[in-house]
Amino acid sequence: MLPANRSCLLLCLAVLTASVSGAADNTRASTAGSQALLGIWVPDAAPRALLTSNGKTPPLTAEAAKLYAERRQRLAKGDAAFDPTTWCAGPGMPRILTMQYPFEIRADANRTVFIHGWYRWFRTVDMGPGTVDPPLPLTMGFPVGHWEANTLVIRTSGLIDATVMDASGLPHSEQLTLTEHLRVLPDGRLEDRITVNDPENYTLPWDTVLTFHRDANARVTDDVCPDRLARGEPAEQLPKAKTAVPAKAAASQVAASVKPAVTPSRLAGIWEPKTFGIMVPNAPLSAAGRDIVNRNAAAMQSGKIMQTAWVSCRPGAVSTMTMPREKIVILESGDEVTLLFEMPRMVRRVRMNASHPAQLDADYVGDSVGHWEGATLVVDTLGFNGYAELDARGQPTSAKLHTVERFTPSADGNSIDIDTTVEDPEYYTQPFTIKRSWKKSPARHPFEYDCMENPRQEDFENAYYVRERYRPVCMRVEGEGMAPSKMVCRRPE
Amino acid sequence: MSMLPWIMAACLTRAATAHHSTAEFDYTRQVTIKGTVKEVQWTNPHSYIQLIADGAAGEQVQWSVEIGSPSLNINMGWRKNSVKVGDVVTMNLSPARNGKPYGTLRVLTFADGHKLEGVAAKIGAGPGPGGPPPGPSPAAPAAATKAP
Repeated sequence: MLPANRSCLLLCLAVLTASVSGAADNTRASTAGSQALLGIWVPDAAPRALLTSNGKTPPLTAEAAKLYAERRQRLAKGDAAFDPTTWCAGPGMPRILTMQYPFEIRADANRTVFIHGWYRWFRTVDMGPGTVDPPLPLTMGFPVGHWEANTLVIRTSGLIDATVMDASGLPHSEQLTLTEHLRVLPDGRLEDRITVNDPENYTLPWDTVLTFHRDANARVTDDVCPDRLARGEPAEQLPKAKTAVPAKAAASQVAASVKPAVTPSRLAGIWEPKTFGIMVPNAPLSAAGRDIVNRNAAAMQSGKIMQTAWVSCRPGAVSTMTMPREKIVILESGDEVTLLFEMPRMVRRVRMNASHPAQLDADYVGDSVGHWEGATLVVDTLGFNGYAELDARGQPTSAKLHTVERFTPSADGNSIDIDTTVEDPEYYTQPFTIKRSWKKSPARHPFEYDCMENPRQEDFENAYYVRERYRPVCMRVEGEGMAPSKMVCRRPE
Repeated sequence: MSMLPWIMAACLTRAATAHHSTAEFDYTRQVTIKGTVKEVQWTNPHSYIQLIADGAAGEQVQWSVEIGSPSLNINMGWRKNSVKVGDVVTMNLSPARNGKPYGTLRVLTFADGHKLEGVAAKIGAGPGPGGPPPGPSPAAPAAATKAP
């Protein structure tokens, strides 16, 4: 066993042992605090403009105050283009906590994860010792956490200045550090007291407090922001509750999520693809499937640039598995195995030892249930919406798609072989299996991939859209001469 | 359908981008421009430098030059502030096929002679049409040429 794995196992054992045998008081308290934080939280207020904990405007510097005033004037005229979320780019921190979407906290021994309800964003908090020297700024930064009694303390640096602090355009620089204190209040709500330290924009550090509550009907679903833009809807609009899971099941989801892990993790950790696969050869295409592939090929041969779900920032779960890139965080907690993909950004939830609902609302990720067969995790997924291509040729899928994935870790724990069996009678004459492998990543923290951050006019000229849904709504247009570039959103047809 | 054309496309299109197809650039050609940096967009899925350069008739031409993406460039020694607005730089690039002042960076040279490479100079094969971004996956930089 390699040292990293041994350390991981020891950490897992330490947490489990502490929870059952009464170790140090602090450990016992933090375990209780951890369990109390887990599950789904809904914003109490989702403020559009952050105030200090005393209800005052934050102590802006003169220059920052001028910028903020300009943004508020623009906002009053209906111009919110200073906020990247308006074209579905990353909200960053703390903006994402001010959105009206629920989020879910899950955790294992090494990391605490915030899975947000807005456009597949997640935040992974390293719970290991030491600090992080951010190699590049990200919207979510590089959060590192620890427990102080029943309070989770998260310090985040490396936050890119392309985001705003809230919907009113409160500015920040890349000197920003956030220190959060999260705890469950006596009334059962979650409090996140955030200390903002940004000497470039604020004359003093200041605190703001956000609170959240439980709601048994709340769900964190697969949210795809560009689809809202394509429908002519605002980027930030609470999605309709899914009908597939009745209230009873949603309530049990909260209960399930607070169960501690009872078995040592087998897949948990950070992984990366061993190879960068982009082709799925020898797929048994049906006549309908072959027609689509031939049509795609003809468009390419005519000089068109093909736009698929992957490149239009709405990849499906199956193409994430067949064309994986960058790091994948796996969390085994409670009754769920959670897969967090850096690129393309996606959250896959595998409910363990569960069944598919009788009625499924189709989406890009489908409904995944799993079980263990020895050391192999078997994941069965139904309920796809048919908007995914298997590979770079645009081999199609339909709503009839059914996948069975078998995740088998190697004996030394350093790699995972994944066999994905694809069944889709609409486009393939018989089931077939695609093989991929992941290896342990040396990374401590995943980066992030903000697919919608900079859609460029040039990219979409001479484009061939495999599906009309993939046509972008917002694009950056360069200004003439020294005029700055700006994002321009068209009215969907 | 034979896989060969697709694999060849992937092999021949030297990767420079994230997110979109590489087919829009002509990697068989190189253009060198010199100018002043107007804007640096350190963004996903592509980072860009807007460069104001002199055109053939002495007019000012604005070039959009893709340089990679933050996570790709960081692995090649770039930092977010490596290039600043107002810097005078020379850029060797592969131009867009459509003839517009648009390209993907091969090498950027600063006034003092030091250089930064773009992904077009660095990476192996791209994904070809419709696929995910090519690029320097730490796992296997050159594996994009191989069908799995």
